[in-house]
Amino acid sequence: MDGPGVGWYLIVAAILFGVGALGVMLRRSPLIVLLSLEIMLNAANLTLIAFARQRGDLDGQIFALSVVAVAAAEVAIGLGLIVAMARRRLVLDVDRASELRG
Amino acid sequence: MIAGAWICLLAPLAGALAITLAGRRISRRTAGWISTLTTFAAFGGALVAFVGLRATDSADREQLSTAYTWLAAGDFEVGFQILLDPLSSVMMLIVSGVGGLIVWYSMGYMHGDDEERRYFAYMSIFVFAMLLLVEAGNFLLLLVGWGLVGLASYLLIGFWHKRPEAVAAAKKAFVMNAIGDATFALACVLLIWETGTLEFFGVFEGVGSMSSTTVNLVALGLLGGAVAKSAQIPLHTWLPDAMEGPTPVSALIHAATMVTAGVYLLVRASPIFEAAPDIQHLAAILGAVTLLVAGLVALVQWDIKRVIAYSTMSQIGYMFMAAGIGAYGYAIFHLMTHAFFKALLFMSAGVVIHHLDGEQDIRKMGGLKGVMPRTHIAFLVGTLALVGIPPFAGFWSKDGIISSALATGGALGWSLYVAGLVGALLTGAYGFRLYYTVFRGESAGTEASHAHEAKGEGPLSMLVPVGILTVLATIGGLVVIPGVWEPFLHWIDEAAESLVEPTVVQDYGTSAIAVGLGLIGLYLARRAFFTNRQLVTNPGAWRVFEHKLYFDELYDALFYRPVVAIATALRRNVEEPIIERSLDEIGAGTIQVGGEVARVQSGLLRTYTVAIAFAVCVLVIVFVAVR
Repeated sequence: MDGPGVGWYLIVAAILFGVGALGVMLRRSPLIVLLSLEIMLNAANLTLIAFARQRGDLDGQIFALSVVAVAAAEVAIGLGLIVAMARRRLVLDVDRASELRG
Repeated sequence: MIAGAWICLLAPLAGALAITLAGRRISRRTAGWISTLTTFAAFGGALVAFVGLRATDSADREQLSTAYTWLAAGDFEVGFQILLDPLSSVMMLIVSGVGGLIVWYSMGYMHGDDEERRYFAYMSIFVFAMLLLVEAGNFLLLLVGWGLVGLASYLLIGFWHKRPEAVAAAKKAFVMNAIGDATFALACVLLIWETGTLEFFGVFEGVGSMSSTTVNLVALGLLGGAVAKSAQIPLHTWLPDAMEGPTPVSALIHAATMVTAGVYLLVRASPIFEAAPDIQHLAAILGAVTLLVAGLVALVQWDIKRVIAYSTMSQIGYMFMAAGIGAYGYAIFHLMTHAFFKALLFMSAGVVIHHLDGEQDIRKMGGLKGVMPRTHIAFLVGTLALVGIPPFAGFWSKDGIISSALATGGALGWSLYVAGLVGALLTGAYGFRLYYTVFRGESAGTEASHAHEAKGEGPLSMLVPVGILTVLATIGGLVVIPGVWEPFLHWIDEAAESLVEPTVVQDYGTSAIAVGLGLIGLYLARRAFFTNRQLVTNPGAWRVFEHKLYFDELYDALFYRPVVAIATALRRNVEEPIIERSLDEIGAGTIQVGGEVARVQSGLLRTYTVAIAFAVCVLVIVFVAVR
């Protein structure tokens, strides 16, 4: 098989995942948080496809496709929430949306 | 033939269901007719079964019919099965026939009551329960009917549920009966243990191989059930209080259903009792004691229905005596004649009560002979039959029982014989005391009796059943004429062979004495009435009888008060300090802990994500480390 070994792909995926996770944890804008979530999902996708190539079958790729579908749905809901917040003139800051505090 | 028996069983159930499901869509009158007609349909079924059974060869007269297996546990199986034999066919006829007349009568008596539909549904259930009891082919189904009869009586005694006394009486009846149900159920468990079956014939075959202790225990358990249901001493106190129900209910309880169940059980389970003669004799002794006590108490009661209620106890005592010495034929015979004349007495008393707008105190009655001539004749016939004056029904059956006691002989037989004769004297006295006080002499002149003279004696639906029963109470005893014509006794003998058979001399000699004593009772009552005195003149004795020999007070002191004291003590020392307070503390603690934990819910999204990420890292490390 051509191209770099599976290990390199995993390293890239791990870096992407870390970046995404840090984004989710550190940024306060809901748009950026959503974006970071997408990066994490794609890191997982990259892992799946890398293993699929290594094993030479299509299972991982199919799985990655369904992850893409789920991600699309999730983005639709997330963006919908953000639009709803904007319409109500709420501050777009996840730290301020804390009404569920116990 | 067996189909007739099934129709007899299911028709009243269908009636009750129809009335219940139809609810307000049918008029009250329709509900009454449904109940009456289904009960008479049951009587038709019973008649078909009876005629069919008579036509069958006598060796083939025990017909067991199983609808389906009702309950199965390993080898143990109980079917929903009915037994048609001479005994049950007679009982079916009595229950559905007299029951039908009483339901019919109720249509007049209950007219205008608030909840007639409920009443008729209960009446149908009552008749169904009793039919299930007498038709059951095994002890379990018998127990089911037994319990349903208790339930139906509870519902009907407490029918006027706005009256606290009625509710209390209903509860009392239910609790007293529950004691009997419990001993009956324990006897059934013992039977399953010993014989592995509850079917009558299987059990009776297995009786021989049981140890005498077991047989005695089983018989004692069954006797306990019979004593409670038939209101014999010491479980009798519910019966007089049950007079709180509507009068037709009293008639149904006393004549057709309920109290006769105990006698039926004694006869049905006669092989068990014969294997335990001591217990059988105990039944006879309890019956004799009850018939004396109830007869004495009946001398001083002022409530027309209570007097009749005590006379029922007394007459059931005769039946217990007969069943206890093995004169099964006479026991069932007296059950039948008693059903006729007791239903008659209650229903004509009901006509009087109806006429006087619910007045039951005989001190406020009197001189009703002129106002209610037909009721007067009916009541007189009922009283004559009760006292046992020939040729009325009670004469043939009661004297048969007393002479059977004589034929038994020995100390037991003689004491029962004397008890029975004294009972005859008492019966004459209290029976005619009631008759004279209510119907003869001056009118008591209460407002009620004048205000309603124009009302007549009541609607036709009340008078016709009373008329039919008057005829039955007159001629119903003619199926047994000792020495001449005894088809009834032979018929019952096929189901339960009698142990004693009085000779013709004993029979007629006893009859002469008993009738003489009954007439002396009549004379005493008449003299006391016309000289304006009471039958019991000793004030001490009067007080004792008026308190019904202090049974209620005794049970109050023995059971009720200690239990209440224990319960109060438990509440004060256990319930309140330990249970209630610990529950309070558990509640308060939970609220406090919840308040502390709630702080974790900061509402900060980023904190949550960090927590999740941290937790995932920990899990990964743990997984790696464990592997």
